[in-house]
Amino acid sequence: MQFTPARAIFLNTLSLYAVALVLAVAFAAQLLLNELPCPLCLLQRIMFALLAVGPILNVRFGPRPSHYAMSLLAALVGAVVSTRQVLLHILPGDTGYGTALFGYHYYTWALIGFVAAIILLSMVLLFDRQFEKNASPRPAGAFASLAIWLVIALTIANVGSTLLECGFKACADNPVVYELLQRGS
Amino acid sequence: MEFTALFLAIAIVMLVAWRGARALALPLFGAVLLACVATYLHHATDVLKLSF
Repeated sequence: MQFTPARAIFLNTLSLYAVALVLAVAFAAQLLLNELPCPLCLLQRIMFALLAVGPILNVRFGPRPSHYAMSLLAALVGAVVSTRQVLLHILPGDTGYGTALFGYHYYTWALIGFVAAIILLSMVLLFDRQFEKNASPRPAGAFASLAIWLVIALTIANVGSTLLECGFKACADNPVVYELLQRGS
Repeated sequence: MEFTALFLAIAIVMLVAWRGARALALPLFGAVLLACVATYLHHATDVLKLSF
């Protein structure tokens, strides 16, 4: 099977849906379990969102090594952030931050996700045929456009959610209420 | 507040990457990534108690 530019763009589109899923699950946990994300948890969501910029550029302009490098850098910083939070809760007896999902907390899943992203991005970079020059990049189809708008919408939703949670000051280390909603009541 | 600003900045970078110029999206991405690293370093102040 040849790894053509079209196939690479399809794979990038799937990765955008994966990022959207991660952001949506984090949102669902926040709303359904009423657990507010801590500063490091927010930073991990931010790094997942930043991970999506590379694939968006790949869909729009065609696959380029620089776009994959951007995602690799975002995944690397995300892995550092999630590793730190795993280490903060590694002591025996520590119940961790928030509710565990399928046995792991969000930051552990985040670490697994970032490491998986680093491995997958490195593997995709092995296939040179995707970088062959196109006459002009084809416009993105509905499937890719939906993925991009989904990720953008979830990122904008996080702008509103974080503003409600933290207000106009520094976020609490262990937030339990939405700062702006509390101020209004 | 800084996290709200970072989410907003990323949404802008995404919109530029999707609808704007590539030459603008790349440096914007770099600036946001540096801001994320700076935010991490600002918050990573708790001592890691790793001996047990």
